[in-house]
Amino acid sequence: MLETRAFEPEFLSKLDRLVLGIKRARTVRAGQRALGRIQGLGIEPENFKEYAPGDDLRFLDWNAFARLDDLMIRTYRAERQVEITSLVDASASMGLPERDDKLGLALAIGAALAYIGMADNDAVRIGAFAMRRGAMKLETTPLHRRRESYLNFKPFVMSVRAGGETRLGAAIDQLLLQRRPAGIVVLISDFLISEGDTEDAIRRLVAARHDVKVVHVMGEQESTASYPPGLYRVRDAETGEVRETIFGPQTAAAGQRKVEQLAGRVREICKSHAVTYAQAFGANNFETFMEREMPLFGMVR
Amino acid sequence: MGFLSPNNLVYGLSLALLVLIYLRSRSRPTIEVSSLMLFDEAPAPVANVRHVRLDPLFWLEMAVLAALTLAVAGLYIRTVPTPGPGRIHALVFDLGAGMSAREGSESRLDQARRDALEIINQAVPGDEFSISGYALEAQVLHPQSANLDDLRKAIASLAPMAVPARTAALRAALMRARGASVIDLFADRTPPAGILADVSSVAKVNFHLVGSSAANLAIVSLDSGIPGSSKGRVVIRNFAFHPHPCDLVIELGSTEVFRQTLMLAPREQMVVPFGPLLAGGTLHARILTADAIEADNSRYAYAPSGSPARMLVLSPDASVRDDVARVLLAVDSNFQIETAAPANYHPAPIAANTQAPPKPYELVVMHDSDPLLGVAAASTLLIYPPQARAGQRSPYGISVTGTVPGAALHDQLLDVSSGAQAMMLDATRIIALPDWIEPIASASTIGHPAFPVAAIGRSAAGRIGLIAFDIRNHLLLAPDHLDALVVTVDLVKQLTAPNNVQIVPTGAYLTVPALKSARVTQPDGSVREVQADQWGRARIRPMDAGRYEIESGSLKTEVLANYYDATESDLGARRDAVSSSSEPASVTANASPAREVRPLLLWLVAMALLALLIETALLVRHANRWGMRHV
Repeated sequence: MLETRAFEPEFLSKLDRLVLGIKRARTVRAGQRALGRIQGLGIEPENFKEYAPGDDLRFLDWNAFARLDDLMIRTYRAERQVEITSLVDASASMGLPERDDKLGLALAIGAALAYIGMADNDAVRIGAFAMRRGAMKLETTPLHRRRESYLNFKPFVMSVRAGGETRLGAAIDQLLLQRRPAGIVVLISDFLISEGDTEDAIRRLVAARHDVKVVHVMGEQESTASYPPGLYRVRDAETGEVRETIFGPQTAAAGQRKVEQLAGRVREICKSHAVTYAQAFGANNFETFMEREMPLFGMVR
Repeated sequence: MGFLSPNNLVYGLSLALLVLIYLRSRSRPTIEVSSLMLFDEAPAPVANVRHVRLDPLFWLEMAVLAALTLAVAGLYIRTVPTPGPGRIHALVFDLGAGMSAREGSESRLDQARRDALEIINQAVPGDEFSISGYALEAQVLHPQSANLDDLRKAIASLAPMAVPARTAALRAALMRARGASVIDLFADRTPPAGILADVSSVAKVNFHLVGSSAANLAIVSLDSGIPGSSKGRVVIRNFAFHPHPCDLVIELGSTEVFRQTLMLAPREQMVVPFGPLLAGGTLHARILTADAIEADNSRYAYAPSGSPARMLVLSPDASVRDDVARVLLAVDSNFQIETAAPANYHPAPIAANTQAPPKPYELVVMHDSDPLLGVAAASTLLIYPPQARAGQRSPYGISVTGTVPGAALHDQLLDVSSGAQAMMLDATRIIALPDWIEPIASASTIGHPAFPVAAIGRSAAGRIGLIAFDIRNHLLLAPDHLDALVVTVDLVKQLTAPNNVQIVPTGAYLTVPALKSARVTQPDGSVREVQADQWGRARIRPMDAGRYEIESGSLKTEVLANYYDATESDLGARRDAVSSSSEPASVTANASPAREVRPLLLWLVAMALLALLIETALLVRHANRWGMRHV
């Protein structure tokens, strides 16, 4: 189980030097995303500007007025903690192929990003979603801010089991219904759903002013389509649909093309919504992915 | 190349089972995947050819099963024998009467002897041989030895006996030869398949079939009839598949009483009447026509003298007295028979006006009654004797220890392995016999595996016969209890025969009165000495048909041995006609040891193990490749 790796001190020490790639806006402009900044509040002066009617007179810099005889408004920046949510797909497709430990990889990435997010004392939580008994079940941990409380995530991470359908749109609906302030949502899934569902989910998260980051996880066997050769009847773990297929070198190549096409489509959707996209294919590459590829994708710095 | 146990090829059905399992497993294994988005539907033509795909695991398993099946079936090849010291040969000879059959200038045993000598002559230094023979019983004629000269002498001294070769004896002979690496069996007929198959698992068996189909005539039986009263009958059988002439001569003592030339149809059994004889005595029938077996061309019978003999039958059951009297009259109608219930019997007093005592009884038959020791009789036949009362002394040393409600009768001369049905008897006494009484028939029941039911012995009081089963309810006259009648008639004949003449079948044990030792002159003229036992008897066993003369002091006894066995004498029947399924597992038609059978058991098992190892390696590799946690 790969998720246990995310709680090993040796591994966590490698993450200590990383911080989450959050674009904290310097100014507040209408229609643009700006996380953690509310004008006028706080104690750290940010800038001066000329007084305009309607400005709060409490922020007039009277000393500047005495010296320059101009009315200047002092602006302050009030830093506020950002809420970071690692949202892991726990559907049945994440449990297959069993040897790939795809769910373990997703949970490990989610937990590792949460740990990184705690570097700035941001409020962090981990969630998992899947359909259970016909209803969407979105479970999240409480928000934790300090790394000392990181191990509180462990019981939740270890308890997540794969099962049920994906229904990404329903999961996003439930998340948005919690009416939390806009923050960072790291969406970790295999995205073995329709292209429309993926785009719809990402679009709604972006519309809610969340900074969305997508981690696309796939298993090694799954991504290389390396199954024992022969004629098989394959059954979809989520829908139960059955199809006859044949495994062999040609079908392996075709399977790899399909995975590449799927990843390409998800990447395009993310790009179109200015969402950070990262690929984590293969549980064996977990540490390399966290230390080297995540910075390359801009997900961490 | 062949199979030692071809019936075991039935295990080859496991191959078909494997194919079925393989096809079923290959049909459409279902695996669960994360999503069907990544898989295309298989094109139909690809699905249709899935059954003929080469699968190394499947073919390795086929190879394993095929090798094991061939090993179980006993696949062998014939190879040139590898000479080497330490090989132990067992030469087993059939010494039954059939081996005495002459074909041209030599007998079948001569052929077997020649083949055996050829094997011995080709022996390499270090080879050892043992020689065994079998007929009624198996016997080791020469122990294991590397002295070829002694072995040649032992083979030269082999002689056929006028007795049938029993299957049980063959089995015993082969059992004794199990220590040998090669068993050479010389016989004139094919043994049952199972016997050779049993031995072939521990030793190589070469079966040498000697002789060919030959014509043979035999005297089946000889009945003297009753002198001056009824005709005698001789039964002759032609075992050839073609008509055969037969010159038949019957002599009474040294006087020829009948001579006739007959023509017997193929496989015919003819009853030839003669007489009636004018006097009693030893009757000798002979076939003068030359044929294959000499022993069954001669037969003796005793014609009772015309003088009346007194018989006494005592029984509390009137019907038993009547039945026994009928049987006695059937043996000799000149018998004068008195019957009485034991309680009512009183010996006739000697009349005052007669000086001569009454003539003693020739035979007293006592059924279920205490022996009357005061009755003078030459012979006594006790039938179903009662248990001695407390304090009472057992007569003649015969003690009755119990009674069983029923038992199965076994004739001692019957070959148990021939599958003969045992006859069921009614109430039967269990009797402990003294040593001087010889059992001639036995029975068995639950809790008593074998106990004597018919016996005869000679004591100072005369000849004593014993029948342990009850003959009430007309047992002797019941047509489905013929064996009981045969045993009774045989006993009566032996008890009423002259003391100095005994007519017995070959192979039977008999005792004759003797002093310290007896001089036995055998049919071929040879003489040997036999020591008498503590009861003054010499025990002999005639194995050749013909006349034996036993002399011991002033005592002279003549033993006439008859031989006939329908199976052994039948030299015309196809000797391998038992059935194709009973073909012996390993048969070498001639004695030439040019090639020997070499079972491939070890090679086949090694191949199976090798295939299993390769399969295991492939499975492990397969499991590692596809990340399975088990194979």
